[in-house]
This record gives sequence, C-alpha cells and structure tokens, in this order.
Amino acid sequence: MPEAMIEFRDVSKRYGALVANDHLTLTIRRGELMTLLGPSGCGKTTALRCLTGYIRPDEGRIFIDGKDVTDVPTHQRELGMVFQNFALFPHLTVRDNVGFPLMIRNLPKDQRTTMTADALRLVRLEGYESHYPRQLSGGQQQRVGLARALVYRPKVLLLDEPLSNLDAKLREEMRFEIKELVTRLGITAVYVTHDQAEALALSDRVAIMNRGRLEQVGTPEEIYEQPQSRFVAEFIGLSNFLEGRIEVVDGATMRVTVGDLKLTVPALPQTGPGQRVLIFVRPNEIELLGPDEPAGENVLEAQVEKATYLGDTMDYRLAFGQGLALRVQGDAQRRVSPGAPVRLRLPRIRCWALPGG
Amino acid sequence: MTAFWRRNSSGLITVFLLLPALAGFFGLFFYPMLLTVILSFRPEGQVAGWTLENYVRFLSDPDGRWVILLTFILAVGSTALSIVLSVPLALILREKVRGHRFYRLIVLVPLVIPGLIGALGLLLFWGVRGWFNLFLTQFVPFVTRPMAVNYTIHGLIMFYVWLYFPYTCVTTLSSLESLDRSIEEAGAVSGATRWQVLRHIVLPLITPGILAGSVLTFMAAFGAFSVPLIAGGNYRPLSVEIYKEISVPIPARWSAASAIAVVMGGLQVIFLSLYMRSVRRAGGAGGSR
Amino acid sequence: MRFARAYIRGLWDGRMILGYTLLLSLTVFIVVPFLMIALRSVGKGWFGRLWLPPQLTLDWYRWAVEVGNIPEVMKNTLIIGIIATAISTVIGIFAGWAFGRRQMPGKEVAMAIVLLPRMIPPITYALGVAKTFYTLELVDTYLGVALAHVSVCAPYAILVLSATFEGLDERVLEAADVCGANTLKRFFYVVLPLIMPGILASMIFTFTHSYNEFTLTLLTYGPHTVTLPVRTYLAVGDGYWEITSAMAVIMVIPSLVILAMIQRRAEPEKLVGGFKGV
Repeated sequence: MPEAMIEFRDVSKRYGALVANDHLTLTIRRGELMTLLGPSGCGKTTALRCLTGYIRPDEGRIFIDGKDVTDVPTHQRELGMVFQNFALFPHLTVRDNVGFPLMIRNLPKDQRTTMTADALRLVRLEGYESHYPRQLSGGQQQRVGLARALVYRPKVLLLDEPLSNLDAKLREEMRFEIKELVTRLGITAVYVTHDQAEALALSDRVAIMNRGRLEQVGTPEEIYEQPQSRFVAEFIGLSNFLEGRIEVVDGATMRVTVGDLKLTVPALPQTGPGQRVLIFVRPNEIELLGPDEPAGENVLEAQVEKATYLGDTMDYRLAFGQGLALRVQGDAQRRVSPGAPVRLRLPRIRCWALPGG
Repeated sequence: MTAFWRRNSSGLITVFLLLPALAGFFGLFFYPMLLTVILSFRPEGQVAGWTLENYVRFLSDPDGRWVILLTFILAVGSTALSIVLSVPLALILREKVRGHRFYRLIVLVPLVIPGLIGALGLLLFWGVRGWFNLFLTQFVPFVTRPMAVNYTIHGLIMFYVWLYFPYTCVTTLSSLESLDRSIEEAGAVSGATRWQVLRHIVLPLITPGILAGSVLTFMAAFGAFSVPLIAGGNYRPLSVEIYKEISVPIPARWSAASAIAVVMGGLQVIFLSLYMRSVRRAGGAGGSR
Repeated sequence: MRFARAYIRGLWDGRMILGYTLLLSLTVFIVVPFLMIALRSVGKGWFGRLWLPPQLTLDWYRWAVEVGNIPEVMKNTLIIGIIATAISTVIGIFAGWAFGRRQMPGKEVAMAIVLLPRMIPPITYALGVAKTFYTLELVDTYLGVALAHVSVCAPYAILVLSATFEGLDERVLEAADVCGANTLKRFFYVVLPLIMPGILASMIFTFTHSYNEFTLTLLTYGPHTVTLPVRTYLAVGDGYWEITSAMAVIMVIPSLVILAMIQRRAEPEKLVGGFKGV
C-alpha cells in the first residue's frame, strides 16, 4: 500500500484576479491527521473543496489512494465530510441523516440499520434516532454529522472547521473525541481550521498556508519550535524578532550581532558571516534573571517599560540596547515594576534564526 | 375624566388612527359583501322577503354545476402547470447564469400588467392568424390546419399560467435561495448525484415554499375575471357568470348574481382553508430550520 | 480522450443547454404577446397568413384618439387614479402608523383582515358596491369609481406604509432629540426624509393598481367615467383588434416603465402582495 493517501500535485485555483490556491503540492500520509491551518483567505477551504470535488482546480491533479480523482465527480469520491455549520438535513431524523449515504448506495435495509446503529454508537448518540436536528444541541448535531460522515467507513475524513460553531468548553471536549475516533478507526483525516491551539493539539502534521501558498509543513513541534518563515513564526504563538548580522559561524552555532549585543544562536544552514538574519525567540521562553545570577551567554540588561497583569502571567515590554524592545512573559508571582532594571537570558536552544532582515 | 383619558389615551389614539381604514373597510368591502349576501336571499327584483330559490336554481341546474367545475378545472390546472413550470425555472435562476437578472425581470412582467392586456396579447398570438399557428402550418411538417387554442379550455389554462405562474416562481425561488448550500454539498459528499440531491434533499425542503406560492396562483386563477371575460369564449367560470347575470338580462338579475357570488366566495374560502391545512402539514414534517 | 470528455463536460454541460433553452423559451413565451399587440397596433392591411404587417400606419392610434376618445378616457383614468391614491394614502398613513408603531392586540389578525379585499375575488363584493353606489348616486362619478378602487388599493398602501413606519428606527429619533431638535424640526429634517421613500412607493403602487383596475370599474362606471381598461375592453367587444391593440399599447407603456424603475430597488417578493409577511 502506498504511503501517500492524498496528494495535491501543483493544484491552482483562481477566482478572477484572486489566487486561492497557488501551485499547491502536498502529500498526506495514510492514517495521519493533517491540519490545514492559516488565516482567512489563505486557501485552506478551497484546497479542501478541491479534494471533495465541489471545486474544480484550474491546474494540477489530485490523487486519493493512488487514483487520480481530478475528473471524478464529488459523489463518487467515497469521502466523508464534517461541516462547520453541521449541514444536517433538517427534514430527516437523526437515523435518516446518518443512514443517508447508505440509502443512496441502495444497501439493504437490515444492513443500513446495523451500520447506522454502529455509527451512532461511535459518536455516543444511541437513543437519538428519532430526533430531528433542530431538537439537538450544537455538540449533538456535530456528532450526527460525524456519524453520517463515518457510517460507510470512508478512507478519508474531511473536517471543515467542525468546532467553530461550538462554545469553547465543548470545543475542547470534541477535539479529543474526534482525534480518538480518527485514530481508533485508522482513517486518514484532513482538518481545516484557523485556530492554532486546535491544530497543535490534534494534528500529526500541520500545513500552514498563507495567500494560497504553502508556508510550512511539519509536526506541531517543528512548526512551533522551528518555523521556516517569519509568517509561520508570527502566526503560531507569540514572538519576538530581532534583526542582526552574522559575525561568526562555528559548527552548529553562530554568533550574531544585534545592535550592541552579541547573541549565540543555533546556526542557520547555508549562511555565512556578514549576512543579515532575523532572530526569533518566544516571550515565554526568555528568562528573567535574579540579581545574584551570574552573567553568561545571551544575557543582557534591560529596563521594564510596561508591565501588564494577566492573572497567571505578567506581560512585559522591555527596552534594551539602542531603542530595541522585547516582549517577555513571566511568572506573575515574581513581579517587576516599570522602570526597574532587569537582566534577561535568551537561552540558546530557544532561539531560532530566520533568513533575511 | 382625565384619569380615563390618561389610562386609555394610547389605545384611543390607536383607534383614532385606524378610523379611516375601518371606515373604508366597512363601507367599501364589508357592507357591500353583506349586501351581496342579503341580496342572494331576496327573491329576484324585490326589496323584501327571504328565499333560497336563487341558490336552488343555480345549484340544481347542470349548467350551474358545470360553471363551478370549470372554475376549479381552470384554477387547479393552471396551478399545477405553474408549479411544473416554476420549479425548474427557479432551479435554473438561482444558479446565477449569465443574464439571470434579466430573466428574473421577465418572470415579473405578467404580474404588473393588467390581465386584460395579457389576455389580449395572448389571443392575438395564439389565434388562427397569430404567429403560433403560422409557425405550425408553415414550418411543422404534416400540419395543414391551424390548431385551435383560443377559446378552448386548454388555451385558457395556458393563459392563466402565463398570467399567474410568477407568484409560484417567485416564492419558490426565494425558498430555494434560503437553503444552505452546504447541505447540498453534504449530500454530494455522501454519494448523492445531482438528481438525488434534488429529489431527496432540495425538493422536500422547498415544498412549503412552492405550496405557499401556488396558493397565490390558485387564488388569482380562481378569481380571474377580465381574462375569461374576453378570452373564455363559451367557457364561463363563476366570475364571468356573475357578471353575465347583471349585464345581459334586462332587468339585471342581481339576486341570482349575488347567489353565485356567495357560492364563489364560499368555495374559495373553503378550498383555501383545506389547502392551507395540508400545506401546514407538509411544512411541519419538513421542519426546515 | 480524457481531455475531450472534460472539455465537453466543462463547456457544454447538457444541463446548461437545457437550462438556457428553458430560459429563452420563457422569454419568448412572455414577450411575444406584447410584440403581437404592438405590431397589430401599427399594421395596415394585415390579413391572411402574414408574419408581419405589409404596411405600417398610425391610423389606429389616430382613430383611438379622435373617435375612441382616448384623451378623455386618459383624463378620467388619471383623475380617478389621483383621487384613489390620495384617499388610499391617507388611509394608509393613519393605519400604517397604527400597525407599524403602536401597540395593537391581534395585529396579525387585523393585517389579515386588511388584506381580505385582495383575497376574495373582487367580483363578489363588487356587486354590493355597485348596488350601494346606485342608491347613493355614486355611479358614473369620479369619486364613486375612485372609492371603488380604494377597496383594492388601500390594503397595499397600508401594507407598504406599516412596513415603512415600522422600519423607522427609534434610535434615530432619539439621536435627533439628543442633537437638540424639537418635535417640528425633527419631523421635517429626520422623520419626513426617512418615510418619504415609503410614502412615494405606496403612492406609486396605489396609483398603478387604480390605473389597471378593471373589475370594480366595470361595475361602477358610466359614460362619463370610462377608464382605459374599460375602454380597451369595450373595443374588444367591438371586434376591432387593431384599435384594441393601439389602446392596449397606450395603456401598458406606463406600467412597464414603472416596473423598470422599481426593479432597481424593490425585491420581487414585495410586489407579490406581502401575503403572510413574506
């Protein structure tokens, strides 16, 4: 069995002057949960709809399980899909909603009954067969949607922002349910969302998109700790950027000058002295040092400009060097007031260099 | 006195505002309606006395019953055909094909012109010297004689459809456009072809809208007057029969006409209630959000 | 092979062809009667199996004006229309204000009652109207015919104006107060401009309905109050299709013009009469 379950090969889609998908090439592996993540308009929903066949790409081919499905109409692609607004059939009961794909496939009645019951058991909605969608809560409706998508055991499950219409607490619960279900059934899943917490929590791999192009594909750890571009670094979590110039490259590390400071950071491959780089470090990974801790690598003096109390953390804006600033998040218990001098350490392994400046 | 005013001033002002409308309603509708009902029970040409003879005469006469049947045939036939025409039309129009705004306007045209004019134009077109028959006799093989359309029942039904189908089409279209497209996408992903999506998902959900529009078409067709007056030929539905009773015989037979009018009004109300009840039942099972 | 199939599906979807055929057939179906009327009204010597009149003429229009008395008929129609519109608008403003802005128990029922004259076939109560008018000597008077029209026009006026007044946002009035406007200024500078479009729309609808009204006119008219619809009908009875066509053209042009003007603003649903508040 080929490793790749879904392949986008050079897929492009344009709407007049707007490029929704720009030569998208992406492989999704069998059994993994891949999330397409990005801001609105980045093309993730378009890509998903190219996968379902509801949208025809202008260029490129799409493969599912080794078969070229670009010209195959939606209803023959054997996919399961869960929608943001549930898209349940309001005039059908839960039983008929879930059994709809089976009815369309002309399966015999007793088989339909068994498979429907199985699907409802999967999503823990036994007993609701005779209800109508309007009688159910948001979470229940989404489970019906899930059951309907899974009832005929498709190879691929697509989820289009399925949790956006649910309240926050429900969202967290459903997140785990979905992940657990998908893993247990061994289904390949493509998940679309703009919520990064969701993406990081659920995915085996994340594909970050921006303006129709793929910015980076990797595991949640890779995305978070080793962003390949400024966009990705800024999109996920909080960030600080410092512009600097490479002084010396020494094996796996390099020394970079930022203003008056010299920082030691992991080396950026294929760069040399004199080149400009962007040093990226997250506010919650910068350490605030006590007065008696020794100076050392990547330690600098700064002054607190602004301190905001956020309950569990303090959010600081610190000024240092000549007009440079850093955002730092620290423990709310060890508060530092504005105006006070502090010493910071930017731990080497928590720094990350990006090309450019 | 002031206390009364203060407590009820709001209500009194509302009543005052409604006075012109109430006066108009009573004077120009309710009272005439009542008069018609009273007249229907008067012996012909007299100012006092009660009788059922007008009703008896009308309903026992086979011609009278034919008039009722005809009115229903025309109304039901044109309503059914309007539905058949409107549903595909609405399905096409919602796709926003090129020029769809123009076509939506075209659909509205029969609504804004008086029935008289529409009937006139239709008579001219479908008549023996009209373009339809010219086309038929000159370009269609094996046809030598023109087809009679004017002054036939099927012709009249078609005229009604021309005039009154927009009611059905517009409400169907609006019902269609209020559907969430993602439901249809869900259907397609679930394996349903376009036709299956239409049959199992779209049509059940827009049926209430179709029926609501068809009620309007039915009412217009049932009560149509100017159209059958000039285009009905020998076919006279209830409305024309009423007019005939006061315009042809001398002296005019007001009581007879009134009896027919009451029958007509009553039938319309009955049919309407039945229709609405079945519409509500159909809509209830659907239960669209 | 795959390319050809995709190409065919992309461009000439069978459904598309069917769809466009339906749309074009519909357009022809709807438009053709008007063409026939227009051609008949200017055709000379158009007998027998001809697609188009052999000669064009304005004789029929001339006949309509000189012998058919169209200017007088037009005058009648307009006067009656103006009276009917005036009365209906007054009724509509008062009642519309009550429906739109005041508390009223059973508002839906009241609205349904208001629409009753449109739901019951006019011919049924037109009998009673005619009888009453005979007694009151209102037959063949401008006022009489106009009043008869009011019974079908006023409901529309009430419908449109109650929606207009309902749409008058309290907060805009409050903002005007806060800005320092007294009641009179507020009325002229804020309320009037906001309700003017609704009042104009109502007047246009009402006038159009009166202009086109046939049934009630037929039962309440006389030699002095012949309106365009009635005159056209009488011409049909005479059997001269050409004259009738000319009159029909004269009658229908304003309606089509108004439709073109309106379609830019109003939604089709409003024209359908607002049943069930659709």
